[in-house]
Amino acid sequence: MQSENGNHKKEKILAAVEAAIERYGARREELIPILSDINRVLGYLPPEALDEVSKRLKEPHSQVMSVASFYQMLSTKPRGKHVVQFCESAPCHVVGGREVWEALQEHLQLGAGETSPDGQWTLITVSCLGLCSVGPVIVVDEDVYGNVTPERVPEILARYH
Amino acid sequence: MVTVTIDGKKIEVPEGMTVLEAAAQAGITIPTLCYHKDLSPHGGCRLCVVEVKGARTPLASCTLPVNDGMEVTTESPALHESRRTILQLLLSTYHDAGYAANDGRVNELEHWARVHGLDPSETMAKAPRYPINSDPNPFVWVDLNKCILCGRCIRACAEVQGRFVWGLAERGYDTRIVAGMDETMLEARCESCGACVAYCPTGALDNKPSVGAGAPDKVVTTTCSYCGVGCQFDLQVNTKENRILRVTSNPEAPVNGMHLCVKGRYGYDYVHHPDRLLKPRVREYLLKGQKRPANGDRGPWVEVDWDTALEIVARKLVEARDTYGPDSVGILTSAKCTNEENYLMNKLARQVIGTNNIDHCARLCHSSTVAGLALAYGSGAMSNSMKDVAEKAAVIFITGSNTTEQHPVFGAMIRQAVLKRGAKLIVADPRRIDITEFATLHLQQRPGTDIALINGLMYIIVQNGWQDQAFIAERTENYEAFLENLQEYTPERVSAITGVPVEQLYQAAEIMGKNRPMAVIWAMGITQHIVGVQNVLTLANLQMLLGNMGVPGGGVNPLRGQNNVQGACDVGGLPDVYPGYQKVTSEEARLKFEQAWGVPLPDKVGLTVTEMIPAAGEGKIKAMYILGENPVMSDPDSNHVRHCLQTLEFLALQEIFPSETSVYADVLLPGVSFAEKDGTFTNTERRIQRVRQAIQPLGEARQDWMIIQDLAQRILSRGKRRVNLEAPYAQWNYTNTAQIMDEIAALTPIYAGVTHARLEAGESLQWPVRSKEHPGTPILHVEQFTRGKGKFHPTVHIPPAEQPDETYPMVLTTGRVLYHWHGGEMTRRSKGLMEVYGQPLIEINPEDAQRIGLNGNRMVRVSSRRGSIIAEAWITERVPPGLIYGNFHFPEASVNELTLAALDPISKIPEFKVAAVRVEAYSE
Repeated sequence: MQSENGNHKKEKILAAVEAAIERYGARREELIPILSDINRVLGYLPPEALDEVSKRLKEPHSQVMSVASFYQMLSTKPRGKHVVQFCESAPCHVVGGREVWEALQEHLQLGAGETSPDGQWTLITVSCLGLCSVGPVIVVDEDVYGNVTPERVPEILARYH
Repeated sequence: MVTVTIDGKKIEVPEGMTVLEAAAQAGITIPTLCYHKDLSPHGGCRLCVVEVKGARTPLASCTLPVNDGMEVTTESPALHESRRTILQLLLSTYHDAGYAANDGRVNELEHWARVHGLDPSETMAKAPRYPINSDPNPFVWVDLNKCILCGRCIRACAEVQGRFVWGLAERGYDTRIVAGMDETMLEARCESCGACVAYCPTGALDNKPSVGAGAPDKVVTTTCSYCGVGCQFDLQVNTKENRILRVTSNPEAPVNGMHLCVKGRYGYDYVHHPDRLLKPRVREYLLKGQKRPANGDRGPWVEVDWDTALEIVARKLVEARDTYGPDSVGILTSAKCTNEENYLMNKLARQVIGTNNIDHCARLCHSSTVAGLALAYGSGAMSNSMKDVAEKAAVIFITGSNTTEQHPVFGAMIRQAVLKRGAKLIVADPRRIDITEFATLHLQQRPGTDIALINGLMYIIVQNGWQDQAFIAERTENYEAFLENLQEYTPERVSAITGVPVEQLYQAAEIMGKNRPMAVIWAMGITQHIVGVQNVLTLANLQMLLGNMGVPGGGVNPLRGQNNVQGACDVGGLPDVYPGYQKVTSEEARLKFEQAWGVPLPDKVGLTVTEMIPAAGEGKIKAMYILGENPVMSDPDSNHVRHCLQTLEFLALQEIFPSETSVYADVLLPGVSFAEKDGTFTNTERRIQRVRQAIQPLGEARQDWMIIQDLAQRILSRGKRRVNLEAPYAQWNYTNTAQIMDEIAALTPIYAGVTHARLEAGESLQWPVRSKEHPGTPILHVEQFTRGKGKFHPTVHIPPAEQPDETYPMVLTTGRVLYHWHGGEMTRRSKGLMEVYGQPLIEINPEDAQRIGLNGNRMVRVSSRRGSIIAEAWITERVPPGLIYGNFHFPEASVNELTLAALDPISKIPEFKVAAVRVEAYSE
């Protein structure tokens, strides 16, 4: 059973890599979009995926790892089903960002970069999202929320169950 | 040229130079951390900032090209302050726990901090952020607390070794260097060359075996004792303990610069291994005046003084000579020993004993190269230099050389030729060896089909008119006969013989035909066949056909295996030639040496090692004197070798360790390692380099040249052979190795200008060196071949001696691995090397593994008509189905139990590369 699960997982990973490379081509210049697609499908970039990308693009592990671990939109560790991104830049901060950040941590019982034990939530901070006019800003999965207040936090998060 | 003014000094420098380089040229040192002259500029640390007139802000001089009229200031209060701030910031995330404080290593960060008025211990972070020694690699010490993210390790791994192990992970404060996908270095395919350590400015990466070993009180530059590349390095020594502390790079090394491989940098601990022979030993029966015990068991060893041991050896060799004639004595000299020692062995055999029965393991590696190239060109050595191949070849054709594992530093240079300047690399090898990753094309021919393959490529070249007609007309002969023979090798037929697709034959021929120059590189994959000489002749034909001889970036480049196998051949360690390849059958040469040595010399060619050992089995050779060789491990069909050595009446072995061969010895004479001796080695590209003594001989061991001299004196003083001691070189009274080299120079035209004094003065000489004024010869066969015209030889494909059949359905091919050396006598006694590769592995394709039922169980039994071995399988696609690969480093399962002594008719080299075998899953 265990190994069947393992095989299933591996097939899923290889399929995600295959699809991304099919889409962009096995070229070094396409490394970021390829990793980005895989990350979207799998939720993160497991070592098996990075290894396969490294083989297919003929790029060393170290180079793939450097890119995969650099960008905030990519993750080399498993993430929760839903990812909450909080903008920690100055414009959001001065319009009440800090209180929103505290509310998020309080509500989810998570610190920066942590994932909940039930695998539902991951909370991360990001640099400026370019939406300063409607700060504070948070992004849940691919949905953007502006003018967030501590009071709105439970209501927003409740939409993702 | 452009003119720039730096700190008020006006200087002329070439265009494209950086300000940092220009300053260095003017003798001005600008502080740097991320910069290293061997690596591409990074511009990351900002320590090298300078003020440029007209520029708004300070600029990083390491990435700033010079402009005409530029005015640069490298020191000012503002610059000082800027650098100080940078150093403070670097120190704020830096923590040195102090464990390597006494190792004597320059810590560039702490140095520049002090220069800028900072006390590193005060300024640095108070606590470590990472575990110290965080990677299990046995050679490389990782302490990220000392890492300043300069990226020199990342660039060294990419730009020197070409392995790309190190990368930069995460971002901002969390940024750190990481191996592969945050795995261990070895998992990230690290080859443990230590380049990252050599280039690290702070000791964040350090030499693990010597962390905390302390500072040296002596540093000696010498030449590596492993392969024929001839790397030089520094031995750091503690003289009080008479110990090598560590090996470090010497940037002035002519061949390798800062680079080394895992064996050279870390495989030195065998020197101090407790197995070292420290006192002469003789068998008890010899002391008691008894007969030798029967059945080959020679009885217990007794440690004795030098006088006793040498007297016995002298007596026994004289007895054999005077009873059965000089040709009853066989001498094996050593490709691991110096030129001076090999010359003395040659003189001992020929002058003192009176036989040409002298040979060494070159017989087993490149005797077919020497014979083949002598026939085609008149000289049997590598024609070009490694550097010129790496820098100038448009195409590099490697066949039968696992370059990155066997000549690792040259292998790394070839990787860089591909990466940096887009040299086209064609690899022809039955296995998918590491260098194929960098190849434009990999031709995977069946073992033993090289002649067909190369002839097939030449067929296509001629068909398309890509040959160099002018070169052929002016510089070669016998072209018509060659062409006629070539007609047999149509692409279809060649493809059927070799298994290489016709399309790939066309691709390879086109690359070779349309790009010049091409350098051909080969090693044992070409030479160790019953058609070894024919293989070499075929490659010689190819290079003449394309006009690639006598030019930089071209040539025939057989890579010599042992550190001094070239030199051992050069100075007379062969049965058919005196030093400098002067034939023993030539009256003129013989008279010359008779006059020099004051004694009549035999005029017939002596026995090769592959003839001498069987002759011992037949009772024709009665006594042998072997220097630093281990024929039980290195020769084919080990069982037969053991039987032959058993039959010998007397065997004296001069060694640093007891070996598989010492079991059959009557006397063991303790010689010394390279670190304890003085002399010269000649590398694969004919470069003669100094070997300098770093430590005193251990125990009572003696420098080998002294042992040989002592023995020669004792033999000369007894028995029937009379030597005229008035002759100019009859005497044996050398007091140092420089005198021996002077004698070599006097008698060896290709070494005529070589002296230790010239080498000490910093000259790097490649033979021929015709006179004391001659600068040496980096490229052979320029304008004219040694023999006049190059001669084409028609060559014909002959299948290997042993073919797979029903009983032995698979093919075994043999060789070595990166982490070990030859019979493993040295590397099996190196702790770190054994940690990485501690047992023999048989490479087998997954298809075959499945077919023989290798599920879970990894052990296999491999059998041939000669014997069988049991070893662990490495299931890998490096080998194609039907082929297995094994090495001869480990006595418990050496492939030479399986190989056969089928010999090339000219060079007498055995066909190590093909044997028919049966492979079965094995369980106890």
